[in-house]
Parts: sequence; structure tokens; C-alpha cells
Amino acid sequence: MRVVIAEDSVLLREGLTRLLTDRGHEVVAGVGDGEALIKTIAELDAQAMLPDVVVADVRMPPTHTDEGVRAAVQLRKAHPGLGVLVLSQYVEERYATELLAGSSRGVGYLLKDRVAEVREFVDAVVRVAEGGTALDPEVVAQLLGRSRKQDVLAGLTPREREVLGLMAEGRTNSAIARQLVVSDGAVEKHVSNIFLKLGLSQSDGDHRRVLAVLTYLNS
Amino acid sequence: MRARALLGLQVAEPEPLRTRKPGAMAWMGAVLGSGASWRALLYSVLYLPWAVISFVVTVNVWVLGWGLLTYPLWFWVLPMHAGQDGIQLYGDETHQVYLDNPFEIAVTALVGLLFTIATPWIVRALTTVDRLLVHGLLGPSRLVSRMVELESDRGVVVDTAAADLRRIERDLHDGAQARLVALAMDLGLAREKLQEDPDAAARMVDEAHGEVKTALQELRDLARGIHPAVLTDRGLDAALSAVASRCTVPVRVEVDLAERPAPAIEGIAYFTVSELLQNISKHARATWAGVEVWRAENRLMLQVVDNGVGGAEVSEGSGLAGLAERLGAVDGILVVDSPAGGPTRVTAELPWRGAHAR
Repeated sequence: MRVVIAEDSVLLREGLTRLLTDRGHEVVAGVGDGEALIKTIAELDAQAMLPDVVVADVRMPPTHTDEGVRAAVQLRKAHPGLGVLVLSQYVEERYATELLAGSSRGVGYLLKDRVAEVREFVDAVVRVAEGGTALDPEVVAQLLGRSRKQDVLAGLTPREREVLGLMAEGRTNSAIARQLVVSDGAVEKHVSNIFLKLGLSQSDGDHRRVLAVLTYLNS
Repeated sequence: MRARALLGLQVAEPEPLRTRKPGAMAWMGAVLGSGASWRALLYSVLYLPWAVISFVVTVNVWVLGWGLLTYPLWFWVLPMHAGQDGIQLYGDETHQVYLDNPFEIAVTALVGLLFTIATPWIVRALTTVDRLLVHGLLGPSRLVSRMVELESDRGVVVDTAAADLRRIERDLHDGAQARLVALAMDLGLAREKLQEDPDAAARMVDEAHGEVKTALQELRDLARGIHPAVLTDRGLDAALSAVASRCTVPVRVEVDLAERPAPAIEGIAYFTVSELLQNISKHARATWAGVEVWRAENRLMLQVVDNGVGGAEVSEGSGLAGLAERLGAVDGILVVDSPAGGPTRVTAELPWRGAHAR
């Protein structure tokens, strides 16, 4: 997997590089702000060397506000096949909504703290690179808590709510099964129950499923 | 506007109308309740008669002055067309005094000259009354001026507090928080490596240990920047000595205070000196700096000097401007004397409030 990292803290940029390299991935470039990120991607694209995924910090110079999110939205428009994983010190459901606008294909939004769980973090980067979704549990919790469908959500069993949360994070059925230590079949049963209760049609493909769930929660 | 354009008068805008509710009735209520509106009305009433008087007097003085001054040039017209020898100064059936001989003509011209010279003063005297009217009735009253000033000060205080919070958040985000994330990352990697490569894991734990120590140092610095403990415990002398020792150039600190000022004033004084010394470290290229703190009656005086390159300015958005605003918020002032080439001398004045006066 080929990765470009955009992070203004040199310390974290080097840490991320080491972490990914250690797992056998290639860090093609590391930049310190949103503009440099867009420029680097454009240059790589011109050489037909587009990376699989971009890992970007939300807050970068010059304004230290949401450069990362804006750059990510721009990159996703320009290169639909490019995975973009945004890291942030705080999760804001608003940023997630902006990132996910239109499609949840190859997009991720995680708290920076998640890098401590090295394996899970690298899994998330790989998932985004392959066109999947990686949403931070906190974002999902915010979405679930803020959703106006509380009465319908109240109709789910605790287990189904758990599965819904993991689904919204972008995990596959088998990943969910692993996490909850149940069989794949059990997860499939929960998933179809959830879709039935929410009145959504079962869609194939994990990322479309995420989008369906998110749209439902956001509407 | 007229007063500003024609009289060169600096009158502040009157205080704005404060409507409590939207709508025409509320606006009318505010107009009727506002002192400024009534004063403006009084001004309009007084202004017309005064303007008429001013006009008449001005025109008369001008005409009389120039007329008499030029009398030697046109006195010959009178005998020809008006049937008299000159201007009739006095006349009844028996005596008539005409200004007709050269001496009288000369005196007349002289009187005209005096009038002409006096005209500007007379006009000025008339406009002075107008000026007073504008000043007294259209400008904000003294109490209101002070109120507006205090309101703006309060705004500065709130803005400064918000800016401080942003700065602290930024420092946390860029410093300790980033370091802790890196630390978590190192420890995460180390845990993964523990079985397969204990040596590498040990190295990572070692690095993580270093990160923790740096994070602690950064948190300590940040806390000191917010409010140093030594300032609370030991006062300005001790706190400023500590700041001075962190400056990149040698700093001589002299604090001459018999008692401690109020904590708020002490805090601002500390912050001011600490900012100025930071500026010296960053920009002045000085080899020497001095800090003096003393009390002058009811003011606390601070002076920071250095022998650097000078050229410091209180320009919009600069650190010094921020400092000046912060001082202004407590009725303090900042004076910067920094010619290009140096030396720089920054003096700050704060109101003195004792530690026990609340």
C-alpha cells in the first residue's frame, strides 16, 4: 500500500511513517500543510503514481482550523479512487458529514488517539485504501445520539445497536463477528434485523451499507 | 459633519440609540428617552437665531471695513453724485461734519483698516459660540464618553481572554497533546513487538520514556505561561527574575516596591515584562537588557530596555499592539521608544492598586 501523510507535527509525521513502514507499507511523501498535500498529489497524479491512500491531519498551517478536511474534500472530488483518512485531535460529527457527503467510499475519519492501537489503526488505513470506510466510534456515537430517529433506534436490541455502531464505523460482517466474538451467521442475522427495523433495503457492498446507515441516522 | 469639515472640530459621535425592542414605537421611545436626541433638538433651536446674528454681523463688519479702507479711492464720487462733500459724520441744521479734507480721509481709511484687520477675530468669536454649542450639545456628554470608553475596554478584556484561551488550546494541541499521541503510538508499537523483537521493543519504550519527560516539561512551561506559581507565592521580583533567566540575553532586573500590588495588576505587569523579554529574545539581537519596576505615587511603572537593533513599532496586529490593548483595558498605557538602530526603551504604566484593596 502506498501512502501520503499530511501532518504538521514533525514528531507525529515521523511516528506515522515509522508505524506504517514497520507494517510493510510504503510512505511516498510526507507534507506539513493542506496546500502542499494537494500539490504533491497533483504531481504524483501527473506521473501516474497516485498513492492508494492519504492520511491527513485536520488542523494544519496556515489557519490551524480545518485545512485537512477541506483538502480531503477537494482530493475526493478530483480523484474518486483515492482513499482519504482524516485524523483529528477531536472528532466533530460536522466534519464527518462533510467528508461523507455523496459517498462513503474510501473515506475515514479517526481520532488521533487511535494510532495507539497500532493493529486496528493500520487495518483502518488499509480498509480506506481499498475503498472501505473507517469512522471513529466517537463519531458514530455522536451520530447515533443526535439522530432524530430515536424512537426507531430504541426498538433495537442492545446487541443490534452494537452491531449498528460497528457497521457505521465501516466494519465488515466478519470483522464485526471477530470483535463481538460471535459467528458470521449471527452477525448477518443481526444486520438483516436492523435493516428490517430501520426500513432500509439490504444493500450489497460494505461501503454502500455504511452510507445507507449514515443517511438514515442523519435524515 | 459640518462642524468637522468647516470648523476643524473633533467631536466624537454621540452615543448610539439603544432600542430595547424592534419597531417604530420602540425607536421613537428610544429617541424620546435619549439625552442625545433632546440635546440635538435644543441645538437645532438655538442654532438658527445664532446663525442669523452671525451672518448679519459678519457681512456688516466686512462691508464697513473694506468700504472705509478704500474711502480715499472713492470719496470724490460723493461731491459729484450725492451732492455732499464726503461721508456725513454728524449733521443737524446748523453743523454738518463731512469727511472731506485729506487728514479726515486718511483717518477714515485707518479706521477701515482696523475693522478689516479685526474681521477675522470677530468672525472667529462668533463661530466659537457655535463651536461650544456643537461641543456641548451634539457631542457625547462626559459621563457617556467615559461609559463608551469603559464598554470598549470591557470588550478588549473579553477579546483578550478569548485570545488567551485560543493560545492555550493551540499550545496544548501542538505541544503536549501531540507528544502524548506520539507516546501512545510508540508504546502501541512496543507492545506489538514485545514477543517477536524484545530489543526493538525496549528501544521503543526508551523513546517513549523520553517523550513523557518532554511532555511534562511542555505542560510545566504552559502552566507557567498561564500563571506562574512563583508570582502568587513570592511576587514580581522572584517571578521576573525567573523570566529573565530564561531570556537569551543577560537581563538585569530591579524591582523597587515596598509592597505588592493587587494580583490582577501584578499578573498584567508580569505578562507585560515576559512578553517584552520574549520579543527581545526573538527580534532585538541585543546583548544586554534591563527591567525596572517601581511605584510612582498611584502608578506602577515598568521599563524594559535593550541595546538591540530597535525599530519596534506598535502597529496593527503586532504583539506590542496586543500588549497596549491589554494595558489599556486596565487604564494602563504603553510607550515604545525604539529608533532604528536602537536602543529600545518600552515603558508601561499601570494604575496602582494595593494587594488588600478590592
